[in-house]
Amino acid sequence: MRAEALKGHLDALILGVLAEGPLHGYAIIEQLKRRSGGSLDLPEGTVYPALHRLEAAGLLASNWSEGARRRRVYRLTARGKRELGHRRAEWSAFVRAVDGVLAT
Amino acid sequence: MSYLETLDRELASAGIPSRRRARILAEFADHLEADPQAELGDPSQLAHQFADELGTTLARRAAFTAFAGLAVAGILIVVAFVTAQSQLFASASRASSALGNLGAWMAVVGGQVAFVAGGLAALRAFRTRRDETISGAQARTLIRRAGVGLGAGLVTMVGFGLTALAAVHHTASWWTTLALGLCAAGIVVLSAAAPAVLAAAQLRPVAAGSAGNLSEDLGPVMPSQLRDRPWRFALVVAGLVAVLVTIAGLAAADPFDGALRGLADGLACLAGFGLLGRYLALR
Repeated sequence: MRAEALKGHLDALILGVLAEGPLHGYAIIEQLKRRSGGSLDLPEGTVYPALHRLEAAGLLASNWSEGARRRRVYRLTARGKRELGHRRAEWSAFVRAVDGVLAT
Repeated sequence: MSYLETLDRELASAGIPSRRRARILAEFADHLEADPQAELGDPSQLAHQFADELGTTLARRAAFTAFAGLAVAGILIVVAFVTAQSQLFASASRASSALGNLGAWMAVVGGQVAFVAGGLAALRAFRTRRDETISGAQARTLIRRAGVGLGAGLVTMVGFGLTALAAVHHTASWWTTLALGLCAAGIVVLSAAAPAVLAAAQLRPVAAGSAGNLSEDLGPVMPSQLRDRPWRFALVVAGLVAVLVTIAGLAAADPFDGALRGLADGLACLAGFGLLGRYLALR
């Protein structure tokens, strides 16, 4: 799937991946690939600006992990959870609408 | 030069502050350690993406923060006016001094500029709230409006303080103390909003697109006869301001001075539009 096709959906995808628990940047990208069966193979570096933007917007929070390796771990904030709920509802409505046209 | 060194240089040239730059580099280093074959992308494009995405969020935040600060400052000024119980105007006309006149003009002109710039900053930020990224020109417009709004707000506060000081022998001492305290509080509130504007101004977003204009900001509120005719719109607004100030003069049984003030205020509106119109993307 090309990066252009994901335009406008990357935020929801990141929020969706983090709904299962906190992850660092590399793990988020791996989860996007794994959960999409390899279809979402977007340029890896482009996820990081989105993570920083979502954090600046208050949808994510992050901190350095205390482990063998120093990693920035991201998690959903309460506002991020609400936003994910909105995005899921919007996506469901969109899929239903497009299905209604294409599935006939 | 290594990939990370090139990325660091590009991030710096995109205006990303050093602390955030260090964090980005640490994240990318961790990513490359986990997968040395990872294709993270062109450093220059990545740096621009960081500037565009963070620039959008920070510019919107600057606009909303400035507006909130101006709203609080506006309430403080209203409290000072209401508690003055018209004694300030009466005393000002009896004892108009250079200091008092200067302060009054600073408060009147500054207040109008702050209201327009701050309000339009918040309006543009609200209209683009769903956009992941806005153009670099739009981000700069938000920051300029927020910055001019805060600056004009500070001028208003100082001007009102000067007016209160100039009238100190003609007003109750408790009111002078209250007015100066409210002005000081307003200056603190507006100053507290400044870091958000400065943080946004550091970034240099480059996303393509226009800065927009007043017709786009006001949308359906803008009458169709005035749409995309900024100077005609400015003339109408200046005329309305002149009429309102003149009516206020009539109501205060001061028709001649009221008309003069109305004319001066209308011309000041037009001058402000001429001076700041392009800078604030009003035209």
